[in-house]
Amino acid sequence: MASDPAATLPVRRSLEHKQVALQSALQVLASGSSLDRPDTPDEVVTAVRRLPAVEAAYAPFPAGIDPRLRAAFEARGVQQLYTHQAEAFDLVSQGKQVVVTTPTASGKTLCYNLPVLDRILKNPATRALYLFPTKALAQDQMAELHELVGVLGQVTGDEIGVHTYDGDTPQDARRTIRTKAHIVLSNPDMVHSGILPHHPRWAKLFENLQFIVIDELHAYRGVFGSHLANVLRRLQRICRHYGSNPQFICSSATIANPSELAERLAERPFSLVSRSGAPRGEKFFVFVNPPVVNRELGIRRSYVAESRRVAGEFLRRNLQVIVFAQSRLTTEILTTYLKEDFEDVPGMPERIRGYRGGYLPLRRREIEKGLRAGAVRGVVSTNALELGIDIGALDVCVMAGYPGTIASTWQRAGRAGRRTGQSAAVMVSSSAPIDQFVVRHPSYFFDASPEHALVNPDNLHILVDHVKCAAFELPFTTDEAYGQVNVQEVLGVLQESGLVHRSGHEDEAGQWHWTSESYPANAVSLRSISSDNFVITDHTSGAKVIGETDFTSALSTLHPKAIYMVEGKIFQVEELDFVGRKAHVKQVDCDYYTTAINYTKVTILDRFASDSPNVALHGEVHVVSRVVGFKKIKFHTNENVGSGELDLPEQQMHTTSYWLEIPIAVMNALPYAADDRRDGVVGLAFAMKQVAQLLLMCDARDIGLSVNTSEHDQAGTDWPRIFIYDAYPGGIGFSAPLWGMQRELLSKSSALIASCDCDTGCPTCVGPVGETGPLAKTVALRLLDHLLGRSEGDGFSHRFPATAEAVALQTDDEVPF
Amino acid sequence: MIVVEREYRADDLHGFCRIGDIVATLNEEQDALASLARAWSAGAPGARAAGALVDRPRTVLPPPLMFLDLETTGLFTGAGTQAFLVGCAVIDGDAIRVRQFLMPGFEHERAVLNEMAAWSATHGALVTYNGKTFDVPLIETRFMFHRLPFPLAETPHFDMLHPARRLWRGRPVTAGPDPDESSCSLSVLEKHLAGLHRVGDVPGFEIPSRYFQFVRDGDARPLESVLEHNRLDLVSLAAVMARALTLVSRGPLESSNPHECFGLARLYERAGAHDNAEGALLRSIDLARRVGTEPEVCGEALRRLAWLRRRSGRVHEAADTWRELAALPRCAAALRREAKEALAIYHEHRSRDLGTARSLVLDVLKDDPMGRRKAEAEHRLQRLDRKIAVREQGGLVAALDDTLQTGS
Repeated sequence: MASDPAATLPVRRSLEHKQVALQSALQVLASGSSLDRPDTPDEVVTAVRRLPAVEAAYAPFPAGIDPRLRAAFEARGVQQLYTHQAEAFDLVSQGKQVVVTTPTASGKTLCYNLPVLDRILKNPATRALYLFPTKALAQDQMAELHELVGVLGQVTGDEIGVHTYDGDTPQDARRTIRTKAHIVLSNPDMVHSGILPHHPRWAKLFENLQFIVIDELHAYRGVFGSHLANVLRRLQRICRHYGSNPQFICSSATIANPSELAERLAERPFSLVSRSGAPRGEKFFVFVNPPVVNRELGIRRSYVAESRRVAGEFLRRNLQVIVFAQSRLTTEILTTYLKEDFEDVPGMPERIRGYRGGYLPLRRREIEKGLRAGAVRGVVSTNALELGIDIGALDVCVMAGYPGTIASTWQRAGRAGRRTGQSAAVMVSSSAPIDQFVVRHPSYFFDASPEHALVNPDNLHILVDHVKCAAFELPFTTDEAYGQVNVQEVLGVLQESGLVHRSGHEDEAGQWHWTSESYPANAVSLRSISSDNFVITDHTSGAKVIGETDFTSALSTLHPKAIYMVEGKIFQVEELDFVGRKAHVKQVDCDYYTTAINYTKVTILDRFASDSPNVALHGEVHVVSRVVGFKKIKFHTNENVGSGELDLPEQQMHTTSYWLEIPIAVMNALPYAADDRRDGVVGLAFAMKQVAQLLLMCDARDIGLSVNTSEHDQAGTDWPRIFIYDAYPGGIGFSAPLWGMQRELLSKSSALIASCDCDTGCPTCVGPVGETGPLAKTVALRLLDHLLGRSEGDGFSHRFPATAEAVALQTDDEVPF
Repeated sequence: MIVVEREYRADDLHGFCRIGDIVATLNEEQDALASLARAWSAGAPGARAAGALVDRPRTVLPPPLMFLDLETTGLFTGAGTQAFLVGCAVIDGDAIRVRQFLMPGFEHERAVLNEMAAWSATHGALVTYNGKTFDVPLIETRFMFHRLPFPLAETPHFDMLHPARRLWRGRPVTAGPDPDESSCSLSVLEKHLAGLHRVGDVPGFEIPSRYFQFVRDGDARPLESVLEHNRLDLVSLAAVMARALTLVSRGPLESSNPHECFGLARLYERAGAHDNAEGALLRSIDLARRVGTEPEVCGEALRRLAWLRRRSGRVHEAADTWRELAALPRCAAALRREAKEALAIYHEHRSRDLGTARSLVLDVLKDDPMGRRKAEAEHRLQRLDRKIAVREQGGLVAALDDTLQTGS
């Protein structure tokens, strides 16, 4: 137990001892029950699954491989390849675009390093560009490649240049890298703003570019992925200009649609390598739901405390543990707790370490090294260690909170487990709705396919930004195509605002030239929705900038009188300068925080697929939202202790939305008062948004929710509607898939609400008591029964579309858990 | 392509400068030119890439000089920024001839570059103002964009911005209250050095949009003032360079501005002419004292003078200079402390006046220095106390004293 202060870590033991230790820790956790047993959603340990060991599948080195490369590998003790590595090599040799999805630590990087190095050896003019989602990953890969290239250099005597190129690269090194590097390791942001706009200086790379390697492909979804797709369009455009036609090799964590995602991003057909030949040891996967401490309010024991207890069980038995926390704050808290429990011996290296973005690179390298060497016995990390940084293989992974997606949970779990021997992964759920859904429905995680990664490269806002960048880089010809939209029309609009100019006569071929002194790439950030932000200035004693907030959340967090917190200090907003994008705050002493009351109205502009008589639809909408007031919530007790009205400007956007229309007949059929029925709709909407987030593999901020409960609106329709819209102007591609998955959406919402322990609603299902009425939970379930055609004598189920998804979900298996 | 040629004859005036005089200076002051080139080794842009600058500095600026200035569609040197006007000026007899290549449309860029390449092949060194960071990389990118060899890759290039900064940065003696007046932009310098006051000049930020407008409607009239702006820039560049050469050649007596003399001294130092540097510093100090309003430049000049003398082994003269600096009224605190520290070292090791050294160190410590400076001063004080104690014990002592000194 964490409360046992005498716990110390004994010395390292042999493999056999380790297995005994692991077994005994798992026994304690599962309170003696068998390690492979049926799920028990209502207990603390809701699931224990045993994933059997897998034997290695080897393949010989492909015949075509350069003998020097083979010799270099043999010098490092590698006599043969895993099957997926050989398969990837063969597909690349056939000139195909390849996407590889195999588990963590399966030798994925060799799938691209092997064909790339082979080609470089055969033709030293060959160039390759590697893209990683973060700078740290590029650095880590460079270290690995350097080692390989070093061995290769001893065999061949030739030098292969491998360099990272990012914001940290010194100016004087850049010129050399541009001409000399065979392999350039970079990130999409740098390609976007540092390489493509300067392509003439990179002529040598672009002329000889044979490979574009994209690692961690699954990281590119939503807005970021849509941007990347456009960066790749620009990149391939420049390659065509220099006469090269590079091949793509991508690697991805396990997602539902790796080929589709790669094809959407690179706009080329891909071959998939998904069968791993790497061996895997036996692994135990455990789901832990902290016990309920207040049943009425649906409050459970803190998942942080529970994670501390779980990690302690393993650490005490001298197993090497990685703990994943959901935020930087939780990371620090858990690190402190575990350091308390397993106090370091003075003079010895620290055995418990924290790890997150914001630590200095040197310190991170030191921790990584400590993990590989075994000196660090426990590390608490944010998602910073989820991606491919090399930390060796640990014994146990403890996840404090559900990581948000199936793909990322497997990825984190993969951090524990060697190729032989046993390992364990434990997910400790928080009380967030998604966590509760997953922990109580283990099959959703273990048996369902992981999420789809969605992108929308033709989102007009994103596309137009990149068309500007592309026009700056190279004039568009008047017969050129770009993406799936009519780019000539886009250019025509840009000409009207003076950004481009068409040369040549109207009736003959010409070019569109960039005619603005601005540098378009500077105005486009690949990672955030808007480059516009608000600066927060503290005026307590002189003016001092203490933070910044993106435009979209500024109004709800920085409205006048809002409480703003930085590192435990409390500030109150005195003035919001909307035009100047500034918020002036002063430090205050108070015992409450504020939450904004948002009023959102959605108007339907266009219905897609409107010919089918469905209750659920998707289409184009106009969203008007306004912060109309705020509530003051007391710390600790979360009591509502007051409120205020606000007069702030409205925000408008056009976007796409999925919506559910509840037939008035269904409403009327419910034996409840009008207010209760309305509460039911609101509660249902709350649950649906949580589930939608789960199904779409997206962040809570990526989608918006609006409920129109008036039973007679002006448009003439008289059905309440629940809108789940893309919180990005123009839409980011969530609505259509959500519409396709609507039956799943409804059945999972039903499962979420039905299986919740609370009496009349809680933040885990239909929303906190006090915000929704006392009957919200009951009414929401009744509504779902009607909508899913489960209630007797109901005549509405026929309204559902006969889409493939709907057919696939028959009534008897629609709630598979 | 549109080529505009304009000749500035010997008797024409540029501000208060005769073109003929500018040309004569540029032609005659070859030694001064060599000094400037030595001070800012005029490497060819291509040579710098190969790291050749370090091995083989190009200190020769072969004639005929070609002055280059671009007007561009933006300030960012990426693939989408083009030079729509390439302005070149050369010396032709006793006149200056300006040739400007104007791109009538974006599709004509290649032709402009080819023409420029042919023309530049017949000239020697390149002279620009801020060309090392802007004009030359930009035009190089244009050649790369069109996959053409860059004709200036091997051409020695002299960027006048750097010596101009040395000579004329912070020259508030003549400048007005406008903070821009102390900048080193060409438009400020031409006002002060050549007395040129432009009338109806097009502001720099307006230039790209004038060109875009021309491309859209074909009306070239608004471009006339851009062409004139570019020509004046080129002639001003020649005039500023001529003024620098005159100063270098005739020495500090040519100037009555303490800042200018100080800058000249730094320039001489860079070029390795230490005697000249000393003369320029003395004149700077003298002028600053006479003007009386410039304690900063006087202090800086004394400091450099002291170091110059110290480095050439004239320790007693250096000490005199430090003493003068320490006694300078309204001297910056940091300079005064540096002077006292230097004097303490001098008295400890050279004049062996340990008492004076000690009181200087105490003086330094009185100002409450921070960090390393404080530690050093305290260390010195302890050592001095030790030495003084040893010395007071008398004879034994001289020997010990010596060992201690070598140890310090």
